[in-house]
Amino acid sequence: MYDAVIIGGGISGLMASLWLATKGRRVAVVSKGDPMCCLSTGCIDVLGHTDSPLKDMKKLPSSHPYRMIGQDAVEESLIFFKEIMETVGLNYTGDPSRNTEILTPIGTTKTTCFVPTTMQVSFDLEEEYIHVISFKGLKDFYPSYIISRKKNASFSIFDMDVYNTMGLAHAFEEKAFLGRFIRMIRDLEVPNAKIAIPAVLGLRSPGRITEEIRMETERDIFEIPTLPPSIPGLRLFRGLKKAFFEKGGHIYWGKEIASIEKSGNKIEAITLAGEGKPTRVHGKAFLLATGSFISGGLYATRESKAYETVFDLPVYMPDKRHKWFNDDFFKTGHPIERAGIQATESLRPKDSEYENLFVSGSILAFSEIMKYQCGHGLGISTGVTAAKHMDGYLK
Amino acid sequence: MMFEHCIRCNICTENCPVFRVNKKFPGPKQAGPDAQRFRLDGEESVDSWVELCLQCKRCEVACPYGVNVSEIILKAQIKYRQEHKKPITSIIFANTYYMGLINSQLAPAVNRISQLGLGKTIARAIGISTKLPLPQYRVLTLSKSRSKVGKGERKVAFFYGCYLNFNRPDLGRTIRDLLARMGIEVVLPKQVCCGLPALGNGDIETARRFATKNATILSEYIDKGYSVVYACTSCGLALTRDYPGILDVPNGKKVAENTYNVHEYILKLIEEGNVKPNFGKVNMKIAYHIPCHLKAIGIGYPAASLFSMIPGLTYHVLDDNCCGLAGSYGFKTKNEETSNELGRIASASILSLEPDALVTDCGACKMQLGHLTGLKTLDPAEVINASFNGHYKPTEVSTRQAVPESKT
Repeated sequence: MYDAVIIGGGISGLMASLWLATKGRRVAVVSKGDPMCCLSTGCIDVLGHTDSPLKDMKKLPSSHPYRMIGQDAVEESLIFFKEIMETVGLNYTGDPSRNTEILTPIGTTKTTCFVPTTMQVSFDLEEEYIHVISFKGLKDFYPSYIISRKKNASFSIFDMDVYNTMGLAHAFEEKAFLGRFIRMIRDLEVPNAKIAIPAVLGLRSPGRITEEIRMETERDIFEIPTLPPSIPGLRLFRGLKKAFFEKGGHIYWGKEIASIEKSGNKIEAITLAGEGKPTRVHGKAFLLATGSFISGGLYATRESKAYETVFDLPVYMPDKRHKWFNDDFFKTGHPIERAGIQATESLRPKDSEYENLFVSGSILAFSEIMKYQCGHGLGISTGVTAAKHMDGYLK
Repeated sequence: MMFEHCIRCNICTENCPVFRVNKKFPGPKQAGPDAQRFRLDGEESVDSWVELCLQCKRCEVACPYGVNVSEIILKAQIKYRQEHKKPITSIIFANTYYMGLINSQLAPAVNRISQLGLGKTIARAIGISTKLPLPQYRVLTLSKSRSKVGKGERKVAFFYGCYLNFNRPDLGRTIRDLLARMGIEVVLPKQVCCGLPALGNGDIETARRFATKNATILSEYIDKGYSVVYACTSCGLALTRDYPGILDVPNGKKVAENTYNVHEYILKLIEEGNVKPNFGKVNMKIAYHIPCHLKAIGIGYPAASLFSMIPGLTYHVLDDNCCGLAGSYGFKTKNEETSNELGRIASASILSLEPDALVTDCGACKMQLGHLTGLKTLDPAEVINASFNGHYKPTEVSTRQAVPESKT
């Protein structure tokens, strides 16, 4: 019997689990496949549409989950996240009161808040000279995109006989490969340039590898996130998972949830469709952190109906199907982004029959993650806050 | 077809061990759902690289959309094997059961020969890798051991599989006796190979023949009120997934629904209050390497739940790496490099924890990672057995190396 069962192994679910496990609770995570954060840049967007996330949080509509949990809760959760990541050797830099910018693989900049130290660029992106390194045969990373958008930039292609990000990340963990790479950087004839490398500098120990290159070459080195397979996204997910295992947490990798057992107005257990027979996971409090449409937490039909896929909770839908999207696809703020589960102040689903069910992450209604660029920040802060309410419920 | 559910997100690629180290393999997305669009009925298989997939199932576990990636690849592998000449290694490894039958009879001689230079030369000549010591066979197999032990209301039929039977019957007997001490009646039913090695070597007919035989026997036990338990996680995956699935044998579904991992079964009895264990202290720090196929069964990691009940035991769960041996995959010279690379990745993770012992359920993982890390290698059941009801004697922990006195 677990104190808490977390449904969804994404950033929100895992952060909730970590908070509860830190408080000594017995926690199980159930997850259908790996989460979307594996595909992300690994950066933590808190409120990317503005320069000052914390200050501008109060300008959000009052229905937004950030407004519901409050600025202090967001800040505390982000600090907790940073501390957790440090325990697994993934250091982040950044300040929730002020956003920062990183370079993207197409030479544009991306506004974000917490940045892995390996991606840290402490200079004027506009003015300073950078030299981009890529690897022969590496698909999905073309330095010419960056060169075409940025003055004061040049590039080199290294032939290292490895052709994908996964392979490169693995190879960088090897001493001989790293040594060869360092020698090639030393031989570059680009004085004073800062060196940009696609984010492949190791999967297990990126901090150590980046530091070693910086020391050995005496240059400023930073990573640029790539398209999936995204190494920084995978580092983030594996880091969270490792921290959770270290705190004695249990994870069930499964398929769909096969059934729900309830007694009165409480959920008693869920069963997972495994091979052969279902597996029963029994708990006192449950968290729904299954994500939005892309992660499978929500499902929409052609008839403008939307379902929550585990408990069939009532879903808020903005309008009929033909009004879900703006005419211009690339303009953010599509009405469908407001769809989701409406929550009470204690992050329980509104109009739900269950007293021991909580909800967090991108499945929450009115999040508008694309519009406000608040994906991971929202996942972390609502996850940790829901965990606090669950802990209170369990007392 | 399920491949149409693929949105090309590449989460499977991020989880593929082979893609990381072998540039000839295009990764599960391309080898699975992408290439499936071009594999028309009646067309000849041309992509020899499908055989580079070692069927760890990590792609399928990772897929958030429920695409049966590894099964798509498995079917392509079977088709490729059927249309091309079978190398001798495929024939040998599809029939490891018969190898075991013969080799265990002649164990002392076979064990000697496999360690000699000449034996190794012969092995290499036919495509068998000798980087790893070949498994040693035992004369007193499990099939020759006491087939009924313990008394109680709860009854289990122990499907021990080839590795425990031919190579580690001592461990098989430890598991049998551990269950018996918990008040369970344990029988060792007559059985043949689970069929997974044959399936992995593209021989679905042999796999089905083995599976049909096992399902018939196990089904009779189930009718008599027995549950089936397994300790080898690859046998477990075959029983629960392949018998009712790709092999589709009579009674396959019934077997799958009544089959438990041995630790899942123990945990269930503890949670139902039918076993009240008094776990004794085991002062050890262990790295628990999760076999790919345990992850794929989808029951969580029940042995880890049991470890958390053992006082003094520090355990670290590692579930990101494949050991690379994957049954017979790494024993083929053509896969030697891939297998070795993967083994080194997994070993580095384990060694970074500086554990007293490596613990893992799977025989292949034990052979590969025990060899590469040089650590004392235990089965989860040995750790639990050492602790159960305080029956802790240092010699019980391992048959090969006893736990140092200072650790007890």
